[in-house]
Amino acid sequence: MGGRWRLIAHATAPSHIEPDEVLIGLLTRLGAADPGMLADLGADGGDMPTLVATWPRLVARTTPERRIAVLAGSRRQRRRLENVALRAGWLVVGGSADGDDPVVLSRLALSPETTAVLLGADRSPSGDEKRHLPDLAALVAAITRTRPELAVVLAGSAAAYESDFGIFDEPTAIAPVAPTVGGRSTQPEPGAAGPSNDKAAGQSKTPVSASAEASAQAAESAAEVAPSAAAAATPGRPGPAPTAAADATPGRSGPAPTAAETAFRSPDAILASPHILLAPDADAGSPPGASLQQVLEGLRALPNDSRLGVARSIYSLAYVLDRSIEIVEVGLQGGLLARAEPYGQGHFAVVSSHAGLADASFAPKNPSEEVIDGLLAWSTVALDRHRAMDRLNDLRLVPWGEADGEGASFRLAAAKAAFGRLIEATPELADHPLPELLVAAGGIFTALPPSLVALALADLVRRPGVSHLALDEARILGPLGAIEDETERRRLMANLADDILMPLGSLILPAGVRPGRSAGHLRIRDATTMSEIELHPGAVQVIDLPPGRTGRADLEFRDAVRLPKRAHHFSIEVGGGLGGLLVDLRDIPMRISDRPDSRRAALEAWQRGMWPESDE
Amino acid sequence: MTARARLAATEIPAELARVVGRRVLVFSPTIRYRLAPGDRALVAPGDMVEPGTPIAERTLEAEFVEIGPIDRPTEIKPGARGEASGTVAGGSLARLWANVQAEHEEPHPGSRPAIASMADRKQAPPGVERRRPPMPGKWWVGGGDRRGKPARAKGDQRIAGTLLYQVNGRWNAAAGERHEIVESAVAGIVREARNAVEVRIEVAGSAVPGAIAAGEPSRGYLDVPRLTDGDLWASALDVGRAGAVVVAGTRLSAQAISRARAMSIRGLIACSVGEGELRDLEASRQRQRASLAPSVSFGLIALDGHGRRPLATPILALLAAMAGREVAIVTDPPLLVFDDSDVPLPELPPDWIRARSGPHAGREGRWIKSAGLYRFRGGIHLEAAVVRFADYTDTTVVPVTDLERFIF
Repeated sequence: MGGRWRLIAHATAPSHIEPDEVLIGLLTRLGAADPGMLADLGADGGDMPTLVATWPRLVARTTPERRIAVLAGSRRQRRRLENVALRAGWLVVGGSADGDDPVVLSRLALSPETTAVLLGADRSPSGDEKRHLPDLAALVAAITRTRPELAVVLAGSAAAYESDFGIFDEPTAIAPVAPTVGGRSTQPEPGAAGPSNDKAAGQSKTPVSASAEASAQAAESAAEVAPSAAAAATPGRPGPAPTAAADATPGRSGPAPTAAETAFRSPDAILASPHILLAPDADAGSPPGASLQQVLEGLRALPNDSRLGVARSIYSLAYVLDRSIEIVEVGLQGGLLARAEPYGQGHFAVVSSHAGLADASFAPKNPSEEVIDGLLAWSTVALDRHRAMDRLNDLRLVPWGEADGEGASFRLAAAKAAFGRLIEATPELADHPLPELLVAAGGIFTALPPSLVALALADLVRRPGVSHLALDEARILGPLGAIEDETERRRLMANLADDILMPLGSLILPAGVRPGRSAGHLRIRDATTMSEIELHPGAVQVIDLPPGRTGRADLEFRDAVRLPKRAHHFSIEVGGGLGGLLVDLRDIPMRISDRPDSRRAALEAWQRGMWPESDE
Repeated sequence: MTARARLAATEIPAELARVVGRRVLVFSPTIRYRLAPGDRALVAPGDMVEPGTPIAERTLEAEFVEIGPIDRPTEIKPGARGEASGTVAGGSLARLWANVQAEHEEPHPGSRPAIASMADRKQAPPGVERRRPPMPGKWWVGGGDRRGKPARAKGDQRIAGTLLYQVNGRWNAAAGERHEIVESAVAGIVREARNAVEVRIEVAGSAVPGAIAAGEPSRGYLDVPRLTDGDLWASALDVGRAGAVVVAGTRLSAQAISRARAMSIRGLIACSVGEGELRDLEASRQRQRASLAPSVSFGLIALDGHGRRPLATPILALLAAMAGREVAIVTDPPLLVFDDSDVPLPELPPDWIRARSGPHAGREGRWIKSAGLYRFRGGIHLEAAVVRFADYTDTTVVPVTDLERFIF
């Protein structure tokens, strides 16, 4: 439109619905709202189904959950490897030779649910770890003879045992999961199997990612809620990219298959030889473990994985907007917490980190007691443990079900608990200041009222600072991340930056507010009005500031607070959104009573302020 | 109308396509029996199995055993038998081992069967060495030469299991003294059989997919008793139903499960079961496995999930039509298997829908029309449909994502 890409309309639907049908419905609604625009798109006459079928598409898919068995010589090493594998999005089972006997270890790897084995050791293993390695390597090599379809990652000094794996082809480089970064950036982008300082990194005896892709595609699950969006350019005009429509809905027709239908379709495709991948140890990279995480992500994810796509999009968006950005994405198959920040002279480079956790699904498979604890901690509905577990399991079976009324409260609690698990898994982010832009993504957030999403972000991100809040309502960040060329992705992002994120408002989160009747005053001025409110410690106060409006907020505190610098007076530029301006004067970290009733009452009071319709 | 004929004639109204379809029957599904280190498959790919055919031998309480070096078979020894030097096939499992006389030569690693198929076994000429060299996953039998055990424990006990790995020329195994035979609950063709990993069977017949299954694969005649308000009282599970797979209605209680197991009932079918009941059942199974008392296999299947709701009427009608026939409960994946593919299906209007979640969960009725985007409780906007539930006089607006339709 007007020589640039625009997001014209978007829709979200469960994955059992045909993408073409979603597109036709979208265009029909567009035609009802603006027939002229429909005519501009060339969709006003003729056969609409045929037309949409010929539009090019950008497709991203959620990689189904996959399980890795982590084996190590010592408990310490096992924990480090497990941590890295978890951040790479794997479901992890683990054992160590000093704590488990070989029968237990082989059971982990021989289970049909396990698709890969990570055998790792320190770069210079100590004696207690080193003496177990020959036996472990022999065990894993033996397991690959029984299960030749297993992918094996030998990390750190465990790579020295590659000769134990009897079947060897000529070494080939690991197929890239994503291209390396284009443009002027110096950092590897998320999910890219880029170059590593460790010579062992990325070497493969057989093309591992190809086999991973084959088996993952075969086992693809329809359970993940599928995003759908459309971006279109004026027909006939040479567009900036060969992609005119984006659709992340898996191309599946007919009804959603049941567990019985999908479970064992896959593997006629058992490959003939084991897949050995040599990788760096669990300390390599920055932050430590990043190099191994990259290798494990490449092994796990589909090439157009939507979760890694979100991380890549944030990376590009941070460059385009020249802002620090954090995103939390929560889905059925896992969650993602990513941060990207321009740095250096001219901000030409972007540094990014991310963690994608299978356990950060809003409804994890076989939820542990900790998951239930987390859920109950955020629930405003009184539930016993068994009932909570039953409802969480049902949510996994029907992820789109009961999205209204009390179901919405339960889903909100599940999403917040998943967000909490992501924060727990990324302690390095706690050292960073609050980002300039904080984005929520995922179907569970987009189905909730925007003001509630804003409150959820404020509840979980307890770092002092000021941030703009936004929601990836069109769920287009995943598909955009599937664009391989970084330059092209940035160009598209530059065009769409104003369209793709729905503004939720701004968050002011001071630390060190002392209890009392009043903490100070806030005056907000925009082009036409000025208003003043008193600030109350322990409260979340909301000032109406609609989307598209900006204003200057002057805060005057009775005592010095951190925002993030310590002072009494602050003058801050804030932006509006559907949730308005949130001034969160609760403690950092948040302190709520441990008693379930008091806790629920406190959560409910904060929630009612943002969601008055909850009483309906 | 039979299932296959119905499948061919299925027509979905365009508007209903947005409602998720629930397949009532699947044909020739592939099921899995999981094995663990120490377990072996007694069948090979391509073998036909019937209900009751031994398909695997489990090693109970398999433990780590250091075997030492095993001689490879290097020359033809007429009449040679046995698995490895220094071991003798015998003991309580002799009859079974006699059936498993020969194994393949070193096969392609990607498709190595656990043992030779029946056809291959017949082709082996007499007097030819049919032993395979030791390799991971191979069945191993040992006894008095166990290492690391006190002299009293060695005795004459035989242990058996599967080889794990070899290091410095010495083999290790996962083996134990107690074993149990796993019999197939279904008829079909073995598609994959790997010691210590799994046996996969393509079922000859059809199946109703479930959401959750627990216990063990089991088989019995289908008993559809009269339900009270959609539920079956636990007291109705008496010894007269021993050997049956009983349709138990809305939700399974811990009491019903305990009582069914005590009465030698082979399985329960319900719409839902709670996570607490599943944990109780698993704990009870573990205790029973640890004891020496043998037990009949027992399985349960929940067709919808965990939340309480009545069984879908088309499925209940299907089960009623199949009452008295042999059925099997399979746990991986959750299936209720019929031996026959041509199952009589109930007639159902094409616009028949059911609420699968939300406040109307379990209610059934007819689709009237789409209601577009609609504001629901809590100010949540969702795509909606106008439906008329069977027991309501007025129409109801329901989120489309809370509905399901049936596909035969």
